[in-house]
Amino acid sequence: MAGSGTAHLRNTVDAVLTARDLTVEFRISKDKIVKAVSGLSFDVIKGETLAIVGESGCGKTTLARAVLQLPPPNSGEVVFDGTDLTQLPKENLRSARTSMQMIFQDPISSLDPRMTVHQLIDEPLEIWDRGTRAERDERINTLLNNVGLEPELVLNRRSYEFSGGQCQRISIARALALDPRMLICDEPVSALDVSIQAQILNLLQDMKDRFGLTMIFISHDLAVVKAVSNRVMVMYLGKICEVAAPEVLYAKPAHHYTKALLNSVPIADPTRQRATELLQGEPPSPMNPPSGCRFRTRCAAASALCADQEPQLREVTPGQFVACHHPVA
Amino acid sequence: MPKFTKPTWFAFGWLGLMLFFVLFGWLLPFKPWSFVYENDLEVGLFSSGHILGTDSNGYDMLASVVAGTRISIFIAIASVGLGGLIGSILGIFSAYLRGKIDTVMVTIFNVGLSVPNLVLALALVSVLATNVDINQAVPTWRRVMVLVMSLTIVLIPILGRIARGATLSWAGREFVTAARSMGMKDSKIILKHIVPNVLPALIAVAFLAVGVVIIAEASLSILGVGIPDGASWGGMIARGRNDLEYAPHVLYVPLVFLALTVISTNHLGDVVRSKLDSREAKV
Repeated sequence: MAGSGTAHLRNTVDAVLTARDLTVEFRISKDKIVKAVSGLSFDVIKGETLAIVGESGCGKTTLARAVLQLPPPNSGEVVFDGTDLTQLPKENLRSARTSMQMIFQDPISSLDPRMTVHQLIDEPLEIWDRGTRAERDERINTLLNNVGLEPELVLNRRSYEFSGGQCQRISIARALALDPRMLICDEPVSALDVSIQAQILNLLQDMKDRFGLTMIFISHDLAVVKAVSNRVMVMYLGKICEVAAPEVLYAKPAHHYTKALLNSVPIADPTRQRATELLQGEPPSPMNPPSGCRFRTRCAAASALCADQEPQLREVTPGQFVACHHPVA
Repeated sequence: MPKFTKPTWFAFGWLGLMLFFVLFGWLLPFKPWSFVYENDLEVGLFSSGHILGTDSNGYDMLASVVAGTRISIFIAIASVGLGGLIGSILGIFSAYLRGKIDTVMVTIFNVGLSVPNLVLALALVSVLATNVDINQAVPTWRRVMVLVMSLTIVLIPILGRIARGATLSWAGREFVTAARSMGMKDSKIILKHIVPNVLPALIAVAFLAVGVVIIAEASLSILGVGIPDGASWGGMIARGRNDLEYAPHVLYVPLVFLALTVISTNHLGDVVRSKLDSREAKV
């Protein structure tokens, strides 16, 4: 899974976001560099939800932040609406960022505990001077109503007085305040109770339909991803394994890693035999990734070729791209 | 109205009284503290005309201790205020910007912290508060300024490190990233998100620092490099030492004032901190 290559890019004019060859590195010490994301490309078409899945530490969050230039990637380009964000001067980047907003994993830490809900949602409006005081108050009320919160009840309370689900609703209201075109959701429901997860997912879906948003949805929960996405990108150690529509990917995974991930999804039926093929071991250190295909150390189908050559993404069935020398038949 | 325990109310009351002495002590119907009552040398506590007695020079203890409050508290508040301001600015910026600036700043803080406080203050005072002409006395205001300055220098790394640590933990929170993705400028993020969150921790430590500084100033006076005419609490203690055998109240009166003040500030520091902790636990 070394997943380089750009075969899966659709190169249409509809692409809201195209990232090419993104690399994000962190220097740990003088000669130790962690390549969190290495040479990764993807695109998102208007109105689409791209899900990024992979286990912890594979670079999902780093990738999302690199798109927002927080921090900017070490190399590669991020073309959003025809402008390459990596080349923008600081001041233009500041305003360009407003059309991409992020929803974070930890609903409580993403809201300043010292600010009331009114101040929190007013913040983006105030930065960009959107309208008069009265217009902004009006807008705040609309936003809160949109996310299913009662403005009179919540406006003067602070984040620690709310549950995780309510905090996430406030975050969504805040993210929508600047009329973004794209929403980057970084594991928006993984910190929530299962009963609340569905509510927040429905809300996100609702907001997406209502405001014509494009979405990047990061998750490690394949069941959640199946429900919300139009296209799924599987990542492993900073590279792409497989890109496909969820129906195809869940029915017929082509990459051994995707298959292993799907096998690991718990089944709510104690009488059923679990799939026997579960992954062994831990992912290798991103400081010193394996040669060739990065997944080969844990892959049952690995051969000498895998150690030698990095597989490139190629189309195995229409719309399904996989970076593997020996795809699952 | 928040509920406070009795010790907390006492601390408030005592510090309020001290503050009253600092601001309005000169309105009290005392003769100047250095007025000599030639007929009342070393009279004890509660003697007529001298509630707290007089010392061996014939100075009224109450007038002296009120005058001493002004100098001791002024030095403490001025140096904690200045040290806190400079220290927190340095600490917050270095933690927010990270990188080389942060490394340099941490090194400077550590060097500052590695020198024992009193030794550093002692060295600074003895270098800065001397006259070229050794026969000429150094004016009191200059001694006070030098004391404030050296105690400030001692305090900067202590408070700076607290500010830096608190900033590091808050700047990593996701609401800072969120603010940045909304297009907020770094300067505004520091003012609106970092400073209000770091401030409570700093205030708690500043209360403790006031106590430390009062004691440091007294120690310097006892070592002979404080305010020369013995007007501060430390100076009074230094002079009272000699009379311990015959007139212990001369030593104990300023000592009790100093102890109660330090206990009060320490206690309030703890109260602020525990209020802060419960807030944090809720978050």
